Amino acid sequence: MSLLDFSSDVFIAAFFLYSGSFMLFTIAIMGRKWSGRKPEEHTARWGRIAFIASSLGLLCHMAYFFTRWAGAGHIPVSNMYEFMTFLSMMVMVAFTVMFAIYRKILLGLFAVPISIIIMAYAAVFPQEVQPLIPSLKSIYLNIHVTLAALGESFFAVGFAAGLMYLLRTVNFTSKEKNDRKQQRLVEFTLFSIIVIIAFLGSVFAFRGAGYESIFVRENVTIDSPGQEDSTIERVSYKMPPIVAPYHSEIESFQPFLGMKKPLFEAPSWMNGVNAGRKFNTVIWSLLSGLILYGLIRLIIRKPLGAALHPAMDGIDADDLDEITYRAIAIGFPIFTLGALIFAMIWAQVAWGRFWGWDPKEVWALVTWLFYSAYLHLRLARGWQGRKSAWLAVLGFLVVMFTLIGVNLVIAGLHSYAGTD
Amino acid sequence: MSGRTPLITNTKCECGHQNPVGTVLCEACGKPLDETGNSSENLEMRYDGVARRSQRSNPNVIDLVWNFFSSVKIAIYLIVLTLLGSMLGTIFPQESTFLNIDASTYYKEQYGTAGHIYYKLGLSHTYESWWFVLLLVMIGASLVICSLDRVLPLYKALTRQKIRKHRQFLTRQKVVLVTEMGEEPEEWVGRISQPLKKRGYRVITEGGALLAEKHRFSRWGPYVIHIGLIIFLLAVLARGLPGLNMDQHLAFPQGEVTPIPDTTFYLKNEKFTVEFYTEAEMPEEFRGKKVLPKLYETKAVLYECIADCGDPTRTPQLKEVAAHDIQVNSPLSYNGLKAYQFDYDLTPVLRSVQPELKNKVTGEAYGKFKLEMKNPQRSFEAGPYTLTLKEKYMDFGLNESGQPVSKTPYPNAPAFLFLIKGPGLPADGQQYFYFPKQVDKVQFQQEGINDKLGGADRFLELEVSSMQDVDFSESTAYLNVRVDRAMPFVWIGAGIVMLGLVLGFYWQHRRIWLTVQNGELILGGHTNKNWFGFRREIVSILEKVDMVVDEKSLDNGGGQA
Repeated sequence: MSLLDFSSDVFIAAFFLYSGSFMLFTIAIMGRKWSGRKPEEHTARWGRIAFIASSLGLLCHMAYFFTRWAGAGHIPVSNMYEFMTFLSMMVMVAFTVMFAIYRKILLGLFAVPISIIIMAYAAVFPQEVQPLIPSLKSIYLNIHVTLAALGESFFAVGFAAGLMYLLRTVNFTSKEKNDRKQQRLVEFTLFSIIVIIAFLGSVFAFRGAGYESIFVRENVTIDSPGQEDSTIERVSYKMPPIVAPYHSEIESFQPFLGMKKPLFEAPSWMNGVNAGRKFNTVIWSLLSGLILYGLIRLIIRKPLGAALHPAMDGIDADDLDEITYRAIAIGFPIFTLGALIFAMIWAQVAWGRFWGWDPKEVWALVTWLFYSAYLHLRLARGWQGRKSAWLAVLGFLVVMFTLIGVNLVIAGLHSYAGTD
Repeated sequence: MSGRTPLITNTKCECGHQNPVGTVLCEACGKPLDETGNSSENLEMRYDGVARRSQRSNPNVIDLVWNFFSSVKIAIYLIVLTLLGSMLGTIFPQESTFLNIDASTYYKEQYGTAGHIYYKLGLSHTYESWWFVLLLVMIGASLVICSLDRVLPLYKALTRQKIRKHRQFLTRQKVVLVTEMGEEPEEWVGRISQPLKKRGYRVITEGGALLAEKHRFSRWGPYVIHIGLIIFLLAVLARGLPGLNMDQHLAFPQGEVTPIPDTTFYLKNEKFTVEFYTEAEMPEEFRGKKVLPKLYETKAVLYECIADCGDPTRTPQLKEVAAHDIQVNSPLSYNGLKAYQFDYDLTPVLRSVQPELKNKVTGEAYGKFKLEMKNPQRSFEAGPYTLTLKEKYMDFGLNESGQPVSKTPYPNAPAFLFLIKGPGLPADGQQYFYFPKQVDKVQFQQEGINDKLGGADRFLELEVSSMQDVDFSESTAYLNVRVDRAMPFVWIGAGIVMLGLVLGFYWQHRRIWLTVQNGELILGGHTNKNWFGFRREIVSILEKVDMVVDEKSLDNGGGQA
């Protein structure tokens, strides 16, 4: 068995250990009220088992990382798959650090699934080891990417704790206007997470079924007078095309539930060749997210927030507030060093300019400014509790947009930066 | 700022200390000054409750400007506006990402009406626009003034702390313990000093009162960050000054010593290499589908001109000063001058030919000479004939009125017009057009032109007899040559920011005040962050003197941040 095969095996082991650990954390929290046991003892015992499972998972995850490094000959953070698997590992590292400080079992219930979701998202991308192109051959690949991911992972834990704070403190029974608003916002946040899960579910379902439809598009450009250049672009859809790429023709179409052609075509401003496909993915994610959310609502018969709220019983809200802040305070210097300073050093060495207002750079700066504002608001303006928790939740959205959105949306719709 | 602007002007504390206007907590005993009642709320401990310059009672214009920039609220607005402005700039690509576009039409063509509006709003060059630069400058001003406004009073307050504090000051901290105490005050204070010192606290006692403090340096973290940011911003601004910055993209044909404009340097591209990954090195899925580059490398030698530099009639004297194999992540660097691998062109470029002058009727050869494309000699000898160079076209073409011109300065289609004198030719010589490249000979009809110039009975011809007489530069490396004198300051600024972040975020300033009097122990504690850890530490210290206290019971509310 080669190193790389071993590497992907332990990665899968890590995935299952995390999933198991998540279930154990759930038992630790939800099982408190089972009859015939003392709630605190129950939580402590099962929480310990869950933490051992998550730590074992982290060990496997690290084994994946280092064996892939050895097998590939370079640090495995050089494409989307590798970066996402690394990010999920760092989320577990950040969780382990915060858990070691605060010993709050509940943290596992929210931080571990973030890692699981990121791992599953990684699997959407091609998993082959790719040789490094010249611009990535640098020691700064190792430093910049890893530190940036670690800093962002602490923000992820901050997000988890912030969301928990909201679930703990929002009054889910009140009918007052302000409380209703908070309920709706929490529900929307949870719905967004459901959409991401539904997106992953539909990607893997259609992949498992081997679905494919292909569109072609002829692009005619006039270079110089009298000289026409035409190129043919092919786009392969792995999900049934509800929306076709702008100005394209069907090459092959696999019918799905009686749908024999796309329902409509992407608007003209989505002129990038892959824009239509990505738009289609967004539609599918929203659709399946709505269905999944509807099913859950049918089963539990109340809003998700209200259903999760009782799990927070007995958790001190101030502790959650403190964990949120502390995670961000630990992550902020690491993020600054990794995502800005080492990014600038590398840009200086590779391109001769330390800053070029490239969208990725700008969004790293936006993230940094956002958390700077968070820290100023909290430390100098006394924004604590609810407001601070919402900022932590919103901040992680900015982080995720920087990591994924910039590559998929900005680069994709306008196709000026490759996403390969 | 602190939201609690004092209304009262009488700032004398009951302990007799005269405080400046704007003081929240008496500088001496810590008694809250702005309230009359017996509030039990947590104290506002920011900057230790001292007055700041921005809280003068009768502000003049300068004071008002100062007050504006010293406000954290304003600073946050500036941060948020910069954040939003930066985001706007990423909606469509910036003009600077393209080398050659006409922005006034490009955005409309590519992105329709939205693109046109984007361009009209000036967002296609967001980061150079006046409002964005103004925001950065204002952030800079805010950084300076905010820091000065707070750091000096805070420094004063922390360097002259009184040990015995007012009861209210203690009981309204966020960490409070009030309990009965049977022991002799001084004895007990002496006893607890030991575990405090073990934990790294500096302990000062005064009778039955005690002040323990550690990691005060952490308080300077934010100001260190701000100083670093100011240096960083100034360095970035300085890059715009003339002479500090140079940025050129230049072509370096292989094998040639090429001057770098506006400097005394010359760079020779000895060999350019581009390598691609072999099929075996690629993952199976990519084989035959993708080509991935493996290496771009320019073996470069840098020369400095030491004499005859600006004189076009003489050959400059060069001295080798540096040599480096330039790769994408490994620029050549010499005294602040850096050369980066930027691009390449594998089209061969003609450097020189050695044509032979022949009699096309008899086949007799008169002689060879070397014709350089870039800086050819003015006249050549070939046997009994003299060839004088009249005109040179690097990239031959005809303009609108049919006159021969050079379209570009690059030797794409070089052409030479000679005047030949010698036996069998008219006394004032015969003109002859020469295209070294075979393709150009055919395309521009060298035969026909020369027949016109010299008549049908002309007998001379220039020809290259073998490939050995042709010298090509195999490829061209494009390097980005830069000088950036402000860079060291950018890095120093960034380094100071990092130092401040580590000081401010990974340590906390912790203080514990204790008084034992009338059979009662009052403990107040303050830290600038991580209250959780602070409470835990106090519990473990109290354990050492056999006091058992619950962590949570120390929490006097609001104990976060």
